[in-house]
Amino acid sequence: MTDIDYKAKGSILNPLKNLQFLGRRPVTQPLEPRPASANYRGFHLNDWEKCIGCSTCQKVCDNATITMVRIPDIKEDPVNGIRNLRPAIDYGRCCWCGLCVDICPTGSLSLSREYVHTCTQAEIDSYFVLPDSSGMHGTYGHGWRKTADADLVDLSRHPMAHLEPPQRSDNFDEIMLGFTRQEAILEASRCVQCGMCHDACPTHMDAPEYIRAIWQDDPEEAVRQIYRTNPFPEVCGRVCTHRCETACSIGRRGEPVAIRWLKRYAMDAVAPERVKEIAAESKSDYMTGKRIAIIGAGPAGLTAALDLIKQGHQVDVYEGLSEAGGMTRWGIPEYRLPAAALARDVDVITSLGVRIHYNRWIGRDIDMATLQLEYDAVLLAIGLGLGRSTRIPGSDHPQVRKAVELLREISQGSVFAVPRSAVVIGGGNVAMDIARSLARLQKREYGTVRITACALEDRAHFLADEIEIIEAIEEGIEVLVARGPQRCEQHADGRLLGLKTWKVDSIFDEQQRFAPRYDNSDERFHEGEMIIEAIGQMSDVSVLGPELTELLEWNRGRLKVDVAGRTNLPWLWAAGDCVNGPDVVHAVADGHRVAASIDAYLNIREDVA
Amino acid sequence: MTEHHEGHQSGYQRLQAQKSLKEILEIATEFERIAHDFYTALVPKVSKQIRYLVEELAAEEQEHFDLFQKLANNPDLEKQVGTLIDTPANDHGFSDCIHLPDLGDHPDDQAVLQYALYREHAAMEQYSALADSTEPGPVQELFRYLAQEETKHKNELEKAYYETVHRGGV
Amino acid sequence: MRPENYQAINHPPSHEYELNFGPNHPGIEGNYALKVKLQGDQVVEAHADGGYLHRGFKKLMEGRLWIQNIALVPRICVPDPVPMEMAYSLAVEELGGLEVPIRAQWIRVMQLELSRIAAHLFTFGGHAATTGMYTTMYWGVADRDLFLDLFEELTGGRVYHIYNIPGGVRRDIPDGYLDRVTSTLDYLESRLPDYDNLFFTNQVFVKRATGTGTMTQQQALEWGVTGPNLRATGLKLDVRRDDPYLVYDEIDFDIATEEAGDAWARTLVRRKELQQSIRIVRQVIERLPSIGGPIRCPIPNPLAWNVPAGEAYARIDSSKGEVAYYVVSTGGDKPYRVHVRGPSSMHAVQVLENLVTGGRLEDVAQIMFSLDACPPEVDR
Repeated sequence: MTDIDYKAKGSILNPLKNLQFLGRRPVTQPLEPRPASANYRGFHLNDWEKCIGCSTCQKVCDNATITMVRIPDIKEDPVNGIRNLRPAIDYGRCCWCGLCVDICPTGSLSLSREYVHTCTQAEIDSYFVLPDSSGMHGTYGHGWRKTADADLVDLSRHPMAHLEPPQRSDNFDEIMLGFTRQEAILEASRCVQCGMCHDACPTHMDAPEYIRAIWQDDPEEAVRQIYRTNPFPEVCGRVCTHRCETACSIGRRGEPVAIRWLKRYAMDAVAPERVKEIAAESKSDYMTGKRIAIIGAGPAGLTAALDLIKQGHQVDVYEGLSEAGGMTRWGIPEYRLPAAALARDVDVITSLGVRIHYNRWIGRDIDMATLQLEYDAVLLAIGLGLGRSTRIPGSDHPQVRKAVELLREISQGSVFAVPRSAVVIGGGNVAMDIARSLARLQKREYGTVRITACALEDRAHFLADEIEIIEAIEEGIEVLVARGPQRCEQHADGRLLGLKTWKVDSIFDEQQRFAPRYDNSDERFHEGEMIIEAIGQMSDVSVLGPELTELLEWNRGRLKVDVAGRTNLPWLWAAGDCVNGPDVVHAVADGHRVAASIDAYLNIREDVA
Repeated sequence: MTEHHEGHQSGYQRLQAQKSLKEILEIATEFERIAHDFYTALVPKVSKQIRYLVEELAAEEQEHFDLFQKLANNPDLEKQVGTLIDTPANDHGFSDCIHLPDLGDHPDDQAVLQYALYREHAAMEQYSALADSTEPGPVQELFRYLAQEETKHKNELEKAYYETVHRGGV
Repeated sequence: MRPENYQAINHPPSHEYELNFGPNHPGIEGNYALKVKLQGDQVVEAHADGGYLHRGFKKLMEGRLWIQNIALVPRICVPDPVPMEMAYSLAVEELGGLEVPIRAQWIRVMQLELSRIAAHLFTFGGHAATTGMYTTMYWGVADRDLFLDLFEELTGGRVYHIYNIPGGVRRDIPDGYLDRVTSTLDYLESRLPDYDNLFFTNQVFVKRATGTGTMTQQQALEWGVTGPNLRATGLKLDVRRDDPYLVYDEIDFDIATEEAGDAWARTLVRRKELQQSIRIVRQVIERLPSIGGPIRCPIPNPLAWNVPAGEAYARIDSSKGEVAYYVVSTGGDKPYRVHVRGPSSMHAVQVLENLVTGGRLEDVAQIMFSLDACPPEVDR
């Protein structure tokens, strides 16, 4: 370190040496506006195209600076997770820390290089600003903005342990193995509690609440929150179409929070007996004396059953098959949804007093007229249990089967001759389900998989979930797109040989309606001892009987119901796949809606009497 | 089933014998009326669940009937027949593989649609064949026009078929 | 009244009067009051009266998430805010088991030392002003402004940087930044002879400052003095050397000391420290380009971050003395307790009272500034 000669008695004239500064340029700053640094934390900018109104900025602000303001001109889109809220900043409170910018999930917020604003007392409200892309005065552009290494949101999802193809291709063991406690808490901590998932869910599950409960390591509270809207968490936690995750604000730039798997974790973490206790917490202890018959023990029927039993009514469910669940039991293979998991959900419902009568077909064992007499209300929730057929030439061969029926046989554990080779017609999840189920049976019995799945759709419009297609290909299934079925070829001795297909040139016409066009010069033959059709499903409405069918009103082949799910007959409601669809969570939402309508109707009658 | 509908051999021969446009159109109109009557008769025989389908088919045949009748009464038909064929409708080939079902006593929606598709397909083929075998002129142009109408009708039915049959489930 | 019944009442001496020195007074660093009892211009008693800057930060921090507190902590010491940010981050990092990347640690050292330089320039100016030398004050503020420009470029803010978060820093250094730091340091070094001429060898100042506000080593240790004030009594104690944090153990620097323990010694210690800080920053500038890596380690979603239960005590040497944060977590998403040891808590209270007593009125302000007592740290 340099020493200065301070100990010596410096000349008293030393300070005068600095008079030279009078001749130099002063350091005074000019009054003109001075552009701030490139990284400056000035007034806010917000790109309204990117902003989704999730309110995360409001949550991280330490000064309660931000108010979310509703903008009527912006269109709300709950399905895609966009709200018509935009943040407004109170510059009397803001400290310009920039945490809002660093945590913004979409990256729409930034701070500008503007820092000067003055006004008279009359204009004092000008300090409360709704920032847009141009900013406070629009003079300078971006300053502090989000960078990849400073992002406070965790964009990567924690993967869930699962079985690899060699471990799963010859058995029906569940593929997804669930989260550990640590993994679940970590994944749940990614949530910013914006609530887009709640808005997008068809049955408006309290997802932010149950995610927060999991993060707080309180899975019982999570179960409580789940059961407020969804009595099928074991099912939905595995196979739901997760509209919540599509709307998740973290998913805008990263991977959405694993809302579906967290639901499953909550159910894994709490003992079934305790789940029953929690589900029973809101049960009314007053019995109304009203009786309701529900036809079909699927998600729609049983959700309505649970709601109604909790309101104190007596509920009888008539199920034609030997176990409850409907499509979730007989249509979804066990490697996606084990029967034991579904049984736990059904157990909770029956433990509250819902009586399910198995192997009782309407029309055969009990008819609608009897139900109308003996019950105060009847709900039809029979789903889409019959498979459609292409009825192409040769499709009347006994080895041409319907996917829905074959899936039911496999789920029931029925023994049948596993074909060495098979062709599946169709490109939806049902087609993938039957293809992958047959692949497992083939692998177990013969050691090789020979299955071809042909879909009319091209890759871009494939109906099945992406993950189903990927896993099907991993399991050895050949998935062909844009092939249209022409005829089922048969050997002279009666054996089924396979399927002939033509190439599909285009799928949609000018009005975007489905109108496939074939190129019959591109013909292929696909070998198959069995052909399975997975092209569509319909309800078995013959159970209603011809008189009732005439009395009812119909809407293009399905029962006509009003907004509440009621038919034109005052005692008959319909819910679920048979009237609406298209998946389990919509069936649950339907069940709630219909139960509320039935309960309201029964209460009205009570007052009148 | 009357033997005089479009696809049937005797119907073909009747059309082939005509020379005047007005007479051809009168026969075509009658075919539409026969179809309309057929569907109308079918309405009470099907379940109420799918009755809408048969009613819609009957209504469409009625529209066709009205269209051809109006055309037949048009005094300038000879001059305008060439302009009737706008863009030739492409045959998509979808219904080539549908074979004519026996409707039976209680047809379901798929059977009804298959039957209707087959009718339109056969009509389209017959009109096209007539056009190919006729000398160039107003008659040939009229046959082309009729083939085009049937093709359009068939395309609409193909869409309805898809929406009805390839629906439900995921 | 009869003479034998007359009792004399002992009135206080009429030549003593109490003067309110502050809270609004240019001779006070910040908002702070010193009630001095004077006999003529001799101070016979002094009573420090703080609290005007109590903003309740420690209580506020208990109600805010761990990440939100980074915006509160720089405000605890206004002239030298970086050690406050740093100590908080270090304490939380210790609790949370976070490992700060090496690049961030070097950037943090640079930020700390630049802040020290800026604070010392401010203090010279203040000290000079208390002896009537306003030119030095203007110089100090003007030169400090160049350092504020550097901070603006690095952190986006001039005074309150809000740049450190638990886990690292928030942004990387801009392109060409190190060159600009170098040129600013060069400029400052070229200015030091001017400062010496005007201030440090100015006989008026030397005469005013020597012998004023003297404290012995013994007294300094008893009164809890730390930092340059302690080093001016001859003790070579510095947290950067005794309990190294960040990467100070890899950097060459000397600890500046003086023997006399008066205002003059304290000022000189600061002047020498300024040169040492320049030396440290130059070493950082040399090393930094070759150190790559991230500028922070990943932390969980700040809205859902539970720091494990425990307590941590982090110490930093700031321009005022030893800053320390004592942070207690009970495993939640907010601190249970944050205690801030502001070094001026001792300097502005018992040290100041003791040193001005027996001195003259005109030295009161000088003694306070020579101690670099910062009231925001006292009141928090």
